[in-house]
Amino acid sequence: MEILPGSFDREFTLSELLGGISQKRLGEALAALLGAGFRLSSSAGEVLAGTTNDLPGGVRVAVRHDLEVLGWLEAVAGEDQVRAAATLLELLLHQGARYHMASALHIEVVRADYEALQDQYAALQASEARYRALSQQLEERVRQQVEVIKSTQLQLYQAEKMASIGQLAAGVAHEINNPIGFIRSNLGTARGYVGRLEQLAPAIRANASLAEDWKRADMDFLIEDFGALLKESIDGTDRVARIVADLKGFSNVDHAEVEVVDLNDSLHSVCNVAHAQVSPKAGVIMDLGELPPLRCHAGRLNQVFLSLLLNAAHAMDTRGEIRIRSRHAGDELRIEFIDTGHGIAQDVLERIFDPFFTTRDVGQGTGLGLTVSRDVVAAHGGRIEVQSAPGKGSAFTIVLPAGGLA
Amino acid sequence: MADIDETNRKITLKLVYYGPAMSGKTTNLIRLHDLLAPELKGDILTLETQNDRTLFFDLLPLGFQTPTGWLIKLKLYTVPGQVVHDATRKAVLSRADGMVFVADSQRTQSVNNSESFQNLEENARRVGLDFDSLPLVVQFNKRDLPQILSEEEIEARWAQAPWPLTFASALTGAGVRETFVRLLEQVYPHADRQFSLTEAHGMSQAAFVRAVAGA
Repeated sequence: MEILPGSFDREFTLSELLGGISQKRLGEALAALLGAGFRLSSSAGEVLAGTTNDLPGGVRVAVRHDLEVLGWLEAVAGEDQVRAAATLLELLLHQGARYHMASALHIEVVRADYEALQDQYAALQASEARYRALSQQLEERVRQQVEVIKSTQLQLYQAEKMASIGQLAAGVAHEINNPIGFIRSNLGTARGYVGRLEQLAPAIRANASLAEDWKRADMDFLIEDFGALLKESIDGTDRVARIVADLKGFSNVDHAEVEVVDLNDSLHSVCNVAHAQVSPKAGVIMDLGELPPLRCHAGRLNQVFLSLLLNAAHAMDTRGEIRIRSRHAGDELRIEFIDTGHGIAQDVLERIFDPFFTTRDVGQGTGLGLTVSRDVVAAHGGRIEVQSAPGKGSAFTIVLPAGGLA
Repeated sequence: MADIDETNRKITLKLVYYGPAMSGKTTNLIRLHDLLAPELKGDILTLETQNDRTLFFDLLPLGFQTPTGWLIKLKLYTVPGQVVHDATRKAVLSRADGMVFVADSQRTQSVNNSESFQNLEENARRVGLDFDSLPLVVQFNKRDLPQILSEEEIEARWAQAPWPLTFASALTGAGVRETFVRLLEQVYPHADRQFSLTEAHGMSQAAFVRAVAGA
């Protein structure tokens, strides 16, 4: 049966209420009860069953439902018979109404439930979207935290490494310092003794028998060369003492305290320390302008300078030149390391500051030098700029605020 | 719904019996069917029930002819009281012209009563009825049972409420007709305003009540 549109509590017509049953069989049943001369019509005059002809002498009985006359049953039959048939029809209508109302109400309820479900679904989706956004935010924050931890770990690792190297260097420097001291002192004394021996020469040469032996032993040359040897040794010792002093200053990496230094001094010191590694590969040209004293972690900046200097030396395929330039311009200090090495290809250039990125053979480099350098410079409020032309060389520029650390 | 059908000269009013599960709404309707003697009275149309509990609704049609020859039809509905049938309750409640709230007088049922009353208020708003001006009578049923709230207690609790209070025992029929008459008295002024019952149809309130509920 077709489900009727509209509210469950509206008024129904006779044909609607009889819509669910076969009109043919209804007509046959009524004909059997009342004879062929009958008619079932709606209150509007529509004939639903039976004849459309006049029914002379027929009986007309109202068919009611819900207090109202919905139609008429006419028949040429006994009045009791027609009334009984009308009652049967009314019972049918009652059942039809029950069915229609129940199904219409059911549809209304299902639709309302469905809408409520859809609303809930929309709300659920909205809250799911919110949670997804939140989880993305959380993931992003976790990722950032991991970055921070990783970079801190790297710095610690490098600092630890440098600190242990520094301790070793400081220990060695200290151990060398004492013997170098007395060697230098003894050499000085020895040089004095040689001078005194030289003063005896005229007296010995005046004595004929001694003069012969003196000459044979070539003592004139010996005394002259002895003095020269001692002078060279004293110069050498002085140089060792200077390197030891630089090494001590340089190895003060675990001195986290802030110092006020002239960076040009630091650059000299770094060059001395690295001299043995750099000199076979390149000549170093110092082009240092006047710099104001800077409050900084001098030990850490020394590491940065050393890294850049050794990198520059490493970039040399044939013997080349490294120019170290320092300038004070405006409120910035600029320290440049310009080399004539093989330069850096563009795809490599993008990655040189990445942790553990290295172009050297396994075991030759940690891939941390530039990473840590960048972090150290950034900690001073500065930056490292790189320019490179493959085949021609590279220029690394450290830019630091002249104000230094607070 | 207060339908007016000019062609068939018919006015239909919808009255709804609301309340918690098992409070006696259907019993009210059955008693009314027996007690009232209006000019026109239909059979109670009962839709499916499960263990005596209404699943859809019950419907009792009553009616009479005005002196002007119009048919005034009153359709009395009950709603299913169980919480799960809220959508059905809402559908039955929509377009109502008046309501009886059938409360259960038993002490143990106070929470159910107040939850159902709140539900009535919410659903009335949802289907677009003005709850504050809608005709409503509150009936406390099951006065024949022990362990019930006394009339004094109930009256004290509802003293601030604007609705008429009645007491009934639907099982025995006591108070059922009185509740219905109170509802008719509430509904009449609204219907009179809408359809000019007095002026156009010659139906005063007393005549209206008498025509539906009998003398």
